Amino acid sequence: MMSLNREISHATHLQEADLASYVINATKEVFDTMVMMALEDSYPLKEPVTSFHCSVTGMVGLAGTYTGILSIHCPRSFALRITSNMLGMDVEEVGEDVNDALGEIANMLGGYVKQILSKGGLDINLSIPTVISGEDYTVNSMSDSDCVIIPFTNENERFLVGLKLRKEV
Amino acid sequence: MGNVLIVDDSSTMRKIISRSLRQAGLQVDDIYEAGDGIEALSAMEGKTIDLILSDINMPNMDGLEFIKCVRAKGVSTPIVMITTEGGEDILKEAITNGASDSIKKPFTPDQLNEKLGGLL
Repeated sequence: MMSLNREISHATHLQEADLASYVINATKEVFDTMVMMALEDSYPLKEPVTSFHCSVTGMVGLAGTYTGILSIHCPRSFALRITSNMLGMDVEEVGEDVNDALGEIANMLGGYVKQILSKGGLDINLSIPTVISGEDYTVNSMSDSDCVIIPFTNENERFLVGLKLRKEV
Repeated sequence: MGNVLIVDDSSTMRKIISRSLRQAGLQVDDIYEAGDGIEALSAMEGKTIDLILSDINMPNMDGLEFIKCVRAKGVSTPIVMITTEGGEDILKEAITNGASDSIKKPFTPDQLNEKLGGLL
């Protein structure tokens, strides 16, 4: 069972369900306003997912008083739909446009998470987004026990948003 | 009416901002784009820019440094930050450096209209 570690719950005064709810609302808002897609969430994830096939993953790192990774993992077909909607034109291949679109979604979601953890914003930095894609790959951070993963669906296609956090001393 | 410079390292976001300006019904003439602060300083040379919309987190030269450079050149064009950053201290620093206002990503065309209507 994936779960938020106790240290984070204690430091943020948030239970895992609260943090998950915040990420769900943030993801729905980003998709509603920037991607023009309505999402359904099906939290909690029933079984761990670490291996991806024909997928695209966008990630942004947090560093400072908290460290962590916010990630979005999509099947290739869904990544193409997201990018097409964001750009307002048909995108048929995974390339620069898809990488940029997925990176920007990760960046916006990372901004929401940063705002929960840091009121001022100067004690946590967001990294420039990283995007990977491929036929088969594994994301190791997703196998850790302190990772919250939320499944979303749109038109029967599923994608995941993951958040792994650690409190720095 | 006016010319707008959009500064963001995401080409997708530059397109969304550009489209949203039109959807918001704002009177925009030419739209110029730059991927970071350094590119933006070059893009401004020899052009009349009436409004700058800039991200904060960018490689090479971030938005906070970019505002400082623009103001150091004596340019008084309004600069509105469009950013994922919602932290009070970061936005305060942007205003101190010379930004006029900020808009949080994600945004709607209506929010752009509300914030930028008086600047174009």
